[in-house]
Amino acid sequence: MRTVGKRSIFLYLIIFVFCAGMVFLAARVFLNGSSWASMPFNAHLYDDHDEQRRGSICDRNGTLLYSDEKGFADSSREALLHLLGDREGNISTGVFSLYSAELSGYNPLTGNAREGNLFKTKTRLTVSSQACERAYELLGDRSGAVFIYNYRTGEVLCSVSSPSFDPDHVPEDIETNSSFEGAYLDKTISETFTPGSIFKIITAACAIENLPNWKSWKTECIGETEIGDGCVTCLEHHGEIGIREGLMYSCNVVFSELAVELGGEKLAKTAEELGFNRSFLFENAHTAKSAFDVSNAKADELGWAGVGQYSNRVSPYHMAVLMGSIASGGETAQPYYVERISAAAELPLYTAEKRSAPLRIRETTAAELRTMLRQNVTDYYGEYLFPGLDAGAKTGTAEVGQDKDDTAWMVGFLESPETPYAFAVVVEEGGSGYRAAGSIASELLGILSEE
Amino acid sequence: MNIPVSLSFFARGRFTAVMLLLHLMAVALVIHIIVRCFISLRKGRRIQNAVIFLTDSAGGAKIPVLYWENSIGREKTCDIILPDPSVSRDHAVLKRRERGWIIADTASRGGTFVNGRKIDAETLLRPGDRIGIGTLELVLTPRDEPASPEQKRRVYSGKRTFMTVLETTAVFFILTLEACLKGNALSFKPFLPFVLLSALVFGVYFYSVGLLKRVSFEIENIGLLLTGTGVLLLYGVDPHTAYIQLAAAALGVLLFCLIIWILELPDFVSKLRIGFEILGVMLFAVTFVFGTVVNGAKNWIFIGPISVQPSELVKVVFIFAGASTLDRLQTHQNLIEFIAFAAVCTGFLFLMHDFGSAVIFFFTFLLIAFMRSGSIRTVILAVAAAAIGIFLILQFKPYVALRFAGWGHVWEYPYDSLGYQQTRTLTYIASGGLFGSGLGNGYLKNIFAGDSDLVFGVLCEELGIIFAFALCSVFVLLALYTLSDVTRSRSTIYSISSCAAAGLLLFQTMVNIFGVTDLLPLTGVTLPFISAGGSSMVCVWGLLAFIKASDERTYGARRRKSI
Ligand SMILES: [Zn+2]
Repeated sequence: MRTVGKRSIFLYLIIFVFCAGMVFLAARVFLNGSSWASMPFNAHLYDDHDEQRRGSICDRNGTLLYSDEKGFADSSREALLHLLGDREGNISTGVFSLYSAELSGYNPLTGNAREGNLFKTKTRLTVSSQACERAYELLGDRSGAVFIYNYRTGEVLCSVSSPSFDPDHVPEDIETNSSFEGAYLDKTISETFTPGSIFKIITAACAIENLPNWKSWKTECIGETEIGDGCVTCLEHHGEIGIREGLMYSCNVVFSELAVELGGEKLAKTAEELGFNRSFLFENAHTAKSAFDVSNAKADELGWAGVGQYSNRVSPYHMAVLMGSIASGGETAQPYYVERISAAAELPLYTAEKRSAPLRIRETTAAELRTMLRQNVTDYYGEYLFPGLDAGAKTGTAEVGQDKDDTAWMVGFLESPETPYAFAVVVEEGGSGYRAAGSIASELLGILSEE
Repeated sequence: MNIPVSLSFFARGRFTAVMLLLHLMAVALVIHIIVRCFISLRKGRRIQNAVIFLTDSAGGAKIPVLYWENSIGREKTCDIILPDPSVSRDHAVLKRRERGWIIADTASRGGTFVNGRKIDAETLLRPGDRIGIGTLELVLTPRDEPASPEQKRRVYSGKRTFMTVLETTAVFFILTLEACLKGNALSFKPFLPFVLLSALVFGVYFYSVGLLKRVSFEIENIGLLLTGTGVLLLYGVDPHTAYIQLAAAALGVLLFCLIIWILELPDFVSKLRIGFEILGVMLFAVTFVFGTVVNGAKNWIFIGPISVQPSELVKVVFIFAGASTLDRLQTHQNLIEFIAFAAVCTGFLFLMHDFGSAVIFFFTFLLIAFMRSGSIRTVILAVAAAAIGIFLILQFKPYVALRFAGWGHVWEYPYDSLGYQQTRTLTYIASGGLFGSGLGNGYLKNIFAGDSDLVFGVLCEELGIIFAFALCSVFVLLALYTLSDVTRSRSTIYSISSCAAAGLLLFQTMVNIFGVTDLLPLTGVTLPFISAGGSSMVCVWGLLAFIKASDERTYGARRRKSI
C-alpha cells in the first residue's frame, strides 16, 4: 500500500496548479477590477431607470456640477461637458466614461454590485467651474481649447473645449451642422492643431542644445530667405537678428535658417524628447499625438517646419505640459483633474496619484527658455497682460490654408510662487495669436489668480 | 411604534448595512464549517501503528504490519520487505478483511505456505498460523497490549457534528433571507426550497448518524453545504431549475449510499470491473447513436421530459473500473484493459465534441494509471497519444480550433462569441467584490449559460469572492485529505478510487473556473455541486461516495460487530 500511496503525488501537482491559478485570478481581479467593472455592459453601473449611477460631482470650490438627482448644473453644463461626459457616452474622455466604475461606488473590496445609499459617491474635481464657464464664453462660437494647470501640483484648473452643447438637449443637427464639428471631442487632448510660431520654442531648444555659439548666432532678415528651391517669408524686415530677439519678434528667417542648419534629424530628436509623436496618458485617456515628421521634407519644407508650419501638429495639452516643464525647471507634475472619489462615510474609492509627467527637458535648456519666454512678456507683449504674475509666453498665428483664417495660439506659464500655472490657449480661425488667444489667457489667469 | 419610520429605515442605507452584516455572518459560518469538517476528518484518520505483527520464527524478530493491505516480497517497494534470495520480488499480499486476516500468493516462484501447506487461493489466517515464504517462516502474532490512550483517535463528538449541521442550515437560512429580499421586494416563496433543503440535510444526517450509527459526517456535510448553496443560488436564477437540482441532489444522495454499500466488499468490487467497463462503453455508444447535440456537443439523451448526460454518469463507472485491490494489482500488472477502456471513453467524447469532459477523463486516467503501475512510461505514452489525437482533430476539423481562438485575449472580443461569456464573467466577478451583491441581485445569470458554465461568476458576483473561494477550497481540501489518507484506507481500491474521485472533482473545478476566467480555453464543463445540471449533480455525489468509502470509519460501526 505504501507504494501505491507514494504514486499519488501526481495529485499534488494539480493541487499546486489550482491554488496558483486561484491566487493569480484573485490578483487579476484586484488589479484589473476597476477597468473590468467599468465595461459599459456591466448592469451594476446603472440604476433602475438605466441611467448611469454617478453620485454627485463638484468643482474645487464645492460648486455642484452634476448629481444623479439634479442632473447637470445649468451654468456649467456646456463649459464642463468634455470633462464630465454626456449621458450617451459619446464623449469617451470624461469622468463619466473614465471613472464609471468608481462613480458607481466600485472599490476592490466591495465591488459595485451592492446598491443603496451606502454606496453613493461624491466626486471632487480640481477645476474651477467659474474659470471654465468664462473660458467657454470667451471662446464664443469659435472652436478652440483652453488648458490651464498647476505645474507644481498637477491640478487642472481650467479645461474647456469648444464647440460644446447642452447634454440634456443634444442638438438634433449635431452630426450634420458644421458648427458642431468635433463637439464630441475634447480638443484639449484629442485634437491637434498647426502650431505656427509656438513651435519656435522647440527649434530654439534644439539650437540651445546643439549649437555651442547659439548666443552669438546671428542672421540678416530681409523679410524672406531663400532655402533650397523655395523661400520662407517673414512678416517684417528684422535686419540683423539673433535667437533671443528672433523668438521675441517671432522672426521666421531666424528659425527656418536654424532648422536647416541644425538639420532634420537633430530637430526631430529634440521634438521627440519634448513629447512629439507620442501619446500621453491624461487621467486614463490617451491624448492625441503631436506630430513632427521631416524625414521626407525638402530643404524649404524643413525651413517651414522650423517655424511650426509644414506638417507639424500639436495638442493644447502637450503644449501646456511642455510649458509646465520649462517653468518648473525640467520636470512638471502630471496633470489631473479628478481629485478624489469617495463613498458614504468618506470611504475613499479613488484618490489622485501625484507623480511627475513623462516629459522631461534638460535643466539648462529649461532655464534658458524660461528667461527667453519671460522676456517676450516683459519686453514685447507687455506686463499689463498678466499684471504681477511674472508670466512667460509665446504667441502663435498658424496658417492653415483652405481659405481659413489663421489658428491663434498663446502658450506660457506664470512664475509667481502663488500661481504656478502653465497654460495653452488655441482659437481656430482666431486670427492673431496675440489678440485672440492672448486676451483669453490674460483674463482667465486673472480670474484664477484672484481665487 | 411608528411604522412609516421603520419602513424608511429599511429602504435606506442602514438596510444595506444590515444585509451586508448578515452576509458576512454567512461567510464566516461557511469558513467555520469547512475548517471544522476538515480538522475532524484529519483527526479522525486511523493512527498508523501496527495492526498486527509477523514474528520470524527463526530469529524471533517482530515485523509490524502497518496497513490493511500489505505486499510481502524482496523488493524495496513492498510493505513488508524480506531481503532473502528465496523470496520473490512480489511474493504475497497479506490483507485484512471482515472475516479476518487473509493471505494471497501473488504469482511467486516458490509459492506461499500456511502451516506447511502450499496455498492456491486466498487463505484465511488465525493468530498463531505459520506462513511460509521462501525459506522463511512467519507467525501471525496479535498485538499484545491495547494502544495507549494518546495514540487513540480523537473521541467522537456527536454534539459537534450536529452543531456543524445546524451551522450549515443557518447558512442556508441567511441565503434564503437574501432571496426573500431580492431586489428590495419581499417574498416568502424562497422558504419552500429552504424547507426542502433542510429536510434533505436532516434526512441524510439521521440516516447516516442515527440509523447507520456512523461516527463521521464530514464528507456528507461538505457535500450538502455545496449542494444547498448551489440550489439557493439557482433559485435566484430560476426556481424551476432549483427544484430540479434539488431532486437530482436527492437522487445523488441515494447513489452516494448505494456506492458506499457496493464498496463495502473490495474483492467483490474488483470482480465487477468488467461489468462496469461494458456499462461505460454502452452508455457512450447509446449517447453516440441516440444523442442530441446541445451547444455543439452531442452528449445529451432526451427521454420524454427528462434529459440525461450519460458522460457524467460514466465518470463514476470509470473510477469503479480503474480501482483495484493490492493483490490484483500485483498479479495483473498490465494496464492494457484499462487503457483500452479509457481510450474508448475519451475517443467517444472527442467524437461527441465534448472536449472539456474528454480532458477530464484523460486526466483521471493518468491519475489512476500512475497509481496502479507507477510507470512514467505509460504516462508519457498516453500524453503523446493524446497530443497526436488533438493534432489530428485540428488537422481534419480546423473549425474546432476556432472555438478557442479567443483564449488569452478575450478583452479583444467582448462583443462576439470568442469573448462574450468570459468578459461578462470577469466584469461581474469584479463588480461582486469580496462580499457580492447578495443572492439574487446579480446580472451575470442573464447571460447565456449563466447558471451552468458561468456559475462560478454568478457565485462570485452574488455571494462574493470570499464565499466562492471558500467553497472552491473544499475541492483542494478533499484532494489533500485523500492524499493524507491514502495508506490508511482499507484497501488500495479505496486509495485509488478516492484519489481519482478527488482529483477528478478538483480538475473539473479547475477547468470550469479557469475556463470562464480566461486562464484556460472555455470548454463548457460544469462546476461540481453548483452548476445547474441533474446528471452532473448525481455524478458528483457518486464521486463523493468514493472519498467517503476511503475513510476507514465509514464501515467502522459494522466492523465492531465481527472481530
Ligand atoms: Zn524676420
